[in-house]
Amino acid sequence: MRPEVSPLKILVTVKLVPDTNADKRIDPATKRLVRTGVETVLNPFDEYALEAALQLKEKLNDGSTVTVVSMTPASGKEIVRKALAMGADDAVMISDDALAGSDLWGTSVALAAAIKAQNADLVMTGTQSTDAISGDLPGMLAEKLGIPGLTYARSIEVADGRVRVQRETDNGYMTISAPLPALVSVTKSANEPRYPSLKGIMGAKKKEIKQLAAADLGLTVAVGTDGAKAKLIDVATPPVRGKGRVVNAADGEDGARQIVDFLKERKFL
Amino acid sequence: MAIQNVIAWIEHKHGAVRRVSLEAATQARTLADALGGKVHAVVTGPGAATAAETLKKYPVDQIHVSEEDRFLDGAVDALESVAKSAGNALVLVGNTMLGRDVGSRFAARLDCGINADVVDFKTDGALAAVMPKLGGLVITTCAFEGDYGVGAIRPNVFSAKETSGAGEIVQIPSTGKASSITVEDEVEEAAAELGVEEASVVVSGGRGLGGPEPFTTILKDLADAFGGAVGASRAAVDAGWVAHGHQVGQTGKTVSPALYIAVGISGAIQHKVGMRTSETIVAINKDAGAPIADFADLLVVGDAFAIVPALTNLVRDAKAAHA
Repeated sequence: MRPEVSPLKILVTVKLVPDTNADKRIDPATKRLVRTGVETVLNPFDEYALEAALQLKEKLNDGSTVTVVSMTPASGKEIVRKALAMGADDAVMISDDALAGSDLWGTSVALAAAIKAQNADLVMTGTQSTDAISGDLPGMLAEKLGIPGLTYARSIEVADGRVRVQRETDNGYMTISAPLPALVSVTKSANEPRYPSLKGIMGAKKKEIKQLAAADLGLTVAVGTDGAKAKLIDVATPPVRGKGRVVNAADGEDGARQIVDFLKERKFL
Repeated sequence: MAIQNVIAWIEHKHGAVRRVSLEAATQARTLADALGGKVHAVVTGPGAATAAETLKKYPVDQIHVSEEDRFLDGAVDALESVAKSAGNALVLVGNTMLGRDVGSRFAARLDCGINADVVDFKTDGALAAVMPKLGGLVITTCAFEGDYGVGAIRPNVFSAKETSGAGEIVQIPSTGKASSITVEDEVEEAAAELGVEEASVVVSGGRGLGGPEPFTTILKDLADAFGGAVGASRAAVDAGWVAHGHQVGQTGKTVSPALYIAVGISGAIQHKVGMRTSETIVAINKDAGAPIADFADLLVVGDAFAIVPALTNLVRDAKAAHA
């Protein structure tokens, strides 16, 4: 525990994902995602974490900083720049072919190594990514960093060297707190992420993006495809859902009757 | 040596066991039998002893219990000690908020593989987990490498079956450690209800409903008639008509109920990926050309405000006739 932590070094992890609104297809031959025409975007869930970090920095107004960290192919630089345009101070990009194909464990090991080197007081993450949707990385990072993980936070405050959050539950919330340094994962209900301003976009061009390779992380274990503990052995495409029946309802009773008949056919009723 | 034993982590609230944990305990038996190992259950926190009584009805060899109240840490520490003493173990958690927290920390601590949103397991050859990815666009299979692993199972996919022959209760020794996280209070804002991920019938509403009121009236009544849950599209959640916890879709929850009823939902891709693995999809929409027509098993074109209440009455009658 640190007696006094001010200003804070806040670190936000961001991931690049295929555009959420694009109708994605799988190439039947390669079983890989057809990337043509599918844009890469900042993972929408990470924007809540970034917005929460920026709001915290603005509220503290004591010289606290926000650094974004991303494990991404070098082509992801533009997306990292968007985070800088939103208001992050600088960025760390970990790009290396040796990291490609990392499973959750490998990703947590590599990211934790990069984060550790930053000596952050507060690490903020989204709750999940829109492509992998595991929601496991925040907990894994907290464990690997050896710090408390306060997950599913819908509000965050920092005072007297502690972070206190409202953690969402199935039908309400819990107030939980822990000493810094700590990790917080931020939910969608926390805020409305800002759009980068023109000034922000211009300013982002001058901000530093530190490039790291796998060798810079000081890893003692193999990650990437070869080091994966969860090894991808098959990718299959499920049968496509065909167009079903379309019927018109003359009135409410008629519509309801047609649904009930259909459900009886399918033995639901 | 490969994984042989299976440990079900049991999520409960003051002793009331979450259904997905009973599914985990039942699936643990199937897997352990195939792998030639034993089934353990780990249940911690206030009410653990009560939860353990429920578990006696499920096919578990040993039920490890600790009443110690240490948020998250207690569960992870207990799993670690049981896994290490059993050796070569797969931990099953429900793919819920707490299940992910506990499973992910365990995986990082033991440096093992974790597979999330599991809908099936393979035991012919290396133990592997089967998971839909990219919103059900692909089905991936991932093998567990090493002595330990974690599988976060999708609720409502595996069955929970009671059996005779109660498991042996084993007390987990106290660690004497304090939790790294302090729980200051817990507030319930709504009545505890079945979540969309766990319901076998989900009745969802979208933009076409025009406001918040139908979510607590006609949709809720229909969901109740089925014993199901109310879901929502992103448009309805973003408009503030219903809480985010009900959202189905890419930025909400992924569900695969036996029956999904989409009311006033156009079926944009963002919604589709959250529910297209549902067994049967019925849509009610005033627009015959809505995208949902392309993947609903039945689309009824008409006025939802007239159809839904009428449907509720017919479902109630049908259920009463069977009762």
